[in-house]
Amino acid sequence: MKEETWFKWMVISTILHFIVITALTIPFKKSTKRIDLSSSYSVNLVGSLGGTGEKIGITEGRGVEGVPRTEPVPEKKEVRATPKKGPPPKPQRQTPVRREKEALSLSKKKVAQKPLKEKDVPSKDELSRLEERIREIKKRTEYFDVTKARSPVVQGGQGGQTGSLKGGSSGVGFGGEGGLRPIDPNTQRYILGVWERIKESWGMPGIASYKKDLETIVTIKIRKDGRIVDINMEKRSGNKIYDESILRVLRSVDPLPPLPSTVETDTIEIGFRFLPGELS
Amino acid sequence: MDVSIINNFTGGALSLLYSAGPVAKGVVIILFVFSIVSWTIIFYKLKEYSRVEEDGERFIRVAREADSFKRLITSYRETPRNPFYKLIYASYREITARQKDNPGTKTGLIPAVENALKITITDEMERLEKRVSFLATTANTAPFIGLFGTVWGIMDSFREIGLRGTTSLSVVAPGISEALISTAIGLAAAIPAVLAYNYFNGRLKRILSKMENASMYIINLIEK
Repeated sequence: MKEETWFKWMVISTILHFIVITALTIPFKKSTKRIDLSSSYSVNLVGSLGGTGEKIGITEGRGVEGVPRTEPVPEKKEVRATPKKGPPPKPQRQTPVRREKEALSLSKKKVAQKPLKEKDVPSKDELSRLEERIREIKKRTEYFDVTKARSPVVQGGQGGQTGSLKGGSSGVGFGGEGGLRPIDPNTQRYILGVWERIKESWGMPGIASYKKDLETIVTIKIRKDGRIVDINMEKRSGNKIYDESILRVLRSVDPLPPLPSTVETDTIEIGFRFLPGELS
Repeated sequence: MDVSIINNFTGGALSLLYSAGPVAKGVVIILFVFSIVSWTIIFYKLKEYSRVEEDGERFIRVAREADSFKRLITSYRETPRNPFYKLIYASYREITARQKDNPGTKTGLIPAVENALKITITDEMERLEKRVSFLATTANTAPFIGLFGTVWGIMDSFREIGLRGTTSLSVVAPGISEALISTAIGLAAAIPAVLAYNYFNGRLKRILSKMENASMYIINLIEK
């Protein structure tokens, strides 16, 4: 009788162990897919100011430039032609405006007793100032889509040119201080060549198992002779191994071929967006 | 490291073991056996001790009401496996053996019954303590076995680094996390064993004092 109970408990304990083992093997797989961080990145910051800002923001900027809005390529990632160099400075530029607004209404609160109306309906003065600001931002963040653009345009700048290259359909853009000037196809080809090269040497074991929404944005500064002088990680994906692999590949492609002769500036800056889908 | 190892980062903690070496697998299997056996002991002893304690309480209740040893024997009927019944049985046998030749005599009876009771208590405690020591063994050895697996795995992964010549995180991390899992399993086996061992020791002490009390009751009733 004693041995019987002994074996009974042995069986129960074995079963419990196997339950624990299976429980430990399964659950991680599901949980990794739930987090969706990257989708919120290309938010139109100008839109946060209200209806006016949204209208004049990036959407209209596109029209001004004469670049047709491209539909997302179905099999690849969405072509979000958000300026890459653009976003980080944007909030900084934007915050003073917002603060001014608050400060205005606050100061009025102290003086007069109807601050709510003032807040709800911004004065003409404020509105015009906002629009001016938005136009300024818009100017600085001009971009175009290299692959889709009919008439490539570049804003030549003194050095600080920004490009963005994203996903399969790479959007490359330049932002600068100067006026509009047609981009020369050599530069365009050069940038695409750089992207191709990076893509070729960017290999990572087990990439297929990563979340598809990992996104890393890196801007690199290329000198005239093709050396990469600066690598700047604008946005980390959150996965260290993934980011590391990108930095490694960028270091490994250095030096790049020298810049085409048509580029007048000493350095150009190109932004890349790395998505795991590129590799698999 | 090959593709499968990195893939496993998205899997569960134990899926790391699929790609582990034979030493790590062996260590983990040993630890699982330890864990299974120690949990079996935990369940078994929990049941056994609670039953013994119940028996003891019932015995003391009966012994308080009884006014003579004969009464106690007649009112306390139990299974022969009950250690408190064994106490009564031992003392009864001692008395009958002493009084077979000259019935009614009480000289030298009490020390003899006391000795018989002491022997019974020692026997019973030995039976109750049986296998509990395995819990102490598990508690002491399982972390070391796990540590052995970890050291072995880290040795392996360092050799891998040396062979590959790279020290990037993607080469080092899988090997080390694969190695650490055996320590984790070792601790997971040892911690319940330590807790249960200490708990059972406390319970054994209580059972022992109950049995000693029961033997006092028996001697008192015999002296009446």
